[in-house]
Amino acid sequence: MPAEITMPQLSDTMTEGTLVKWLKKEGDRVESGDKIAEVETDKAVMEMESFESGTLAAILVPEGQKVAVGSVMAVVATGKDDPAEVKQQAAAAGPRRARSGPPATLEAASTGEIHEADYVGHVAVATGQQPAGPPLPKLPENVARGVRVRISPLARRMAAEKNIDPRTLLGSGPGGRVVVQDVLALTDTAAARSVPLPHPGSGQTQTVPVTKMRAAIGKALQSSKQRIPHFYETVEADVEELSAMRLRMNQMLEPQNIHLSLADFVVKALAMTLLAHPALNATFNGIEVTRYGDVHLGIAVAVPDGLIVPVLRNIHLMGLKEIRQRSVDLAERARAQKLRQEEMSGATFTVTNLGRYGVKEFSAIINPPEVGILAVGAAEKRPAVRNGQLVARTMMSLTLSADHRVVDGAMAAEFLRTLKQFLEEPGMMLVFA
Amino acid sequence: MPAIQFREALRAAMVEEMERDETVFLMGEEVAQYNGAYKVSEGMLEKFGPRRVLDTPISEAGFAGLGVGAACCGLRPIIEFMSWSFTLVCMDQIINNAANIRYMSGGQFKVPIVFRGGNGIAHQLGATHSHRMEAVYSRIPGLIVVAPSTPYEAKGLLKTSIRCDDPVIFLESEKMLGEMGEVPEEEYLLPLGKAKVEREGQDVTLLSYGRPLQRVVRPAVKALSNDYNIDVELIDLRTLRPLDVQTIVDSVRKTNRCVIVDEDWGYCGMGAGIIQKIQKPCFDDLDAPIEYVHSDEIPVPFSHPLEEAMMPSVDRIIAAVQEVCYK
Repeated sequence: MPAEITMPQLSDTMTEGTLVKWLKKEGDRVESGDKIAEVETDKAVMEMESFESGTLAAILVPEGQKVAVGSVMAVVATGKDDPAEVKQQAAAAGPRRARSGPPATLEAASTGEIHEADYVGHVAVATGQQPAGPPLPKLPENVARGVRVRISPLARRMAAEKNIDPRTLLGSGPGGRVVVQDVLALTDTAAARSVPLPHPGSGQTQTVPVTKMRAAIGKALQSSKQRIPHFYETVEADVEELSAMRLRMNQMLEPQNIHLSLADFVVKALAMTLLAHPALNATFNGIEVTRYGDVHLGIAVAVPDGLIVPVLRNIHLMGLKEIRQRSVDLAERARAQKLRQEEMSGATFTVTNLGRYGVKEFSAIINPPEVGILAVGAAEKRPAVRNGQLVARTMMSLTLSADHRVVDGAMAAEFLRTLKQFLEEPGMMLVFA
Repeated sequence: MPAIQFREALRAAMVEEMERDETVFLMGEEVAQYNGAYKVSEGMLEKFGPRRVLDTPISEAGFAGLGVGAACCGLRPIIEFMSWSFTLVCMDQIINNAANIRYMSGGQFKVPIVFRGGNGIAHQLGATHSHRMEAVYSRIPGLIVVAPSTPYEAKGLLKTSIRCDDPVIFLESEKMLGEMGEVPEEEYLLPLGKAKVEREGQDVTLLSYGRPLQRVVRPAVKALSNDYNIDVELIDLRTLRPLDVQTIVDSVRKTNRCVIVDEDWGYCGMGAGIIQKIQKPCFDDLDAPIEYVHSDEIPVPFSHPLEEAMMPSVDRIIAAVQEVCYK
């Protein structure tokens, strides 16, 4: 039976490729594994191998032509096929989609029911490093056909009911089988995925499907970074006094079993600063700015394979004790994926803190429609000059990312000056509270 | 409720039915004058006399065939085999005759007969006396196959079997006859073809029957609950043919996992047949392949440690349950 050679899909985004050069001509003998053509993708020129042995009966696409993925480019006469007859039939049909359809439509791949027979005539890509031997359809199989999903029947049914593409699920069962707990981990708020991926060994590669959370984060942040003209300003606050004060307060609060963290003080100072600078305690929809008389602070929380931003509502009305308790509760429930939707929306500003990882300073991406985000670094002893003397002080770097469409550099600087003042002289907060 | 031995429950069932119906009689090797090779029929000769409790020669083909003929002629024989392994010499009488006469005669004859005796691996009886015959008989249309796991089940199911108009294969175990269990003093019957959900659970359905239930399955279920936090739904199948598919399927649809335990060999074993019945109706409800814990596929060794090692154990059952629960 004549075998069709089609344009392979070599990446997720590839919809067409250019047939650069034929390495065989009509009538040539073709062995399985022979390089038959060069194909240019959006990334590189690659050599294409034939899976079939026979005679290259018909070339349907001239060199230099762009060809849609899955379209027939040539036909190989195999077995007892008469090459002349095959050429005649192929020429009559002309370039077209392959009989069996494109290598992997989403539908075909997501069913997981992919049979070898559907792929007669596909081609492999010779990378140069491939060992000799029967050519395996490595790239097309993984990229274009979609990996065959190993999934339990129940998990398959449940994924279908929940409209989840099984290929996006990470299997925790034997051999990577997707089992029902993997579906629940993605959809059910109860079970946070806790199965870490094994690291790929030397010489291996690993395909990691993108989870829904990952995809949502990616989409939101890409949009933010592309659309919002970010600018960044960093101040260094001397938190030596604040640290000492925190220690004294924690000693006094010990009988009540309250242990305040430096982050709680930063959050409190930030809330006070936002009240004093409503230009930053705002959202922007592209047309007008909305300023808020209350502070609803989003606090970024790292969770397995992603991050969640629960919102501390009316934080400007809270004392440190309440801030402590509520932020611990929100963070715990965020990690357990037990937050309600309204607890994750409606922030007027966001803070993100990598201090406990020892990060000195960093800049964050704004969470639209907010107009700013504060990145808090680690409090650490740094050399500082006091009264002309070099001394070691506990210092902390704070970086504001702001939306330059509605916030200017001087506004941001004033905001940071207030924040720095509240952190260095906590008593100043009493003046405005 | 008084607790009595398994053998006493069997005897009580036979005595009650013989008192109730004078066409019922007991026949087999050593059942009369010796009071039973395993003392199941103790006292029955004295009670019912030699006309209704009959010793036979060591000839299974002879007395099994005699029983089938008597059943065709209107009596209700209970045929005791010392071991179901010995029925390998009278399969023609059981499979060709007992199972088929009602069909072949167009219903002119029925065969209300109970064949009963010890089945399976007892204790150091060697390869030829340790056969598990349930899968052999459970595949024969025309037969009913019953495997009780407690004295309560034994009495209630044997009484129903004796009243049944079709031939019943009643599978006991020499090792179970001394086990104690509560049995009501008043009369009761248990239905054939109906499994019993012995313990309700959420995590996995465990199917078993007969002796392994008491020997390893119930201890494994207890350990799984206490030490592994796995909530097992335990089903005592009680009747192997006709199999109570509905009860099994309902359970597996709830738990999404199934483990079968028996002492048969795996290939073409009883559990394999059960899997054939349930995998299709449960396919979309399964989160893991059905596990089958069975004996190793070797002749049954005479050596006690080897005999123990070839059979399902508590550990093997726990491992299988963990595997299907992905725990």
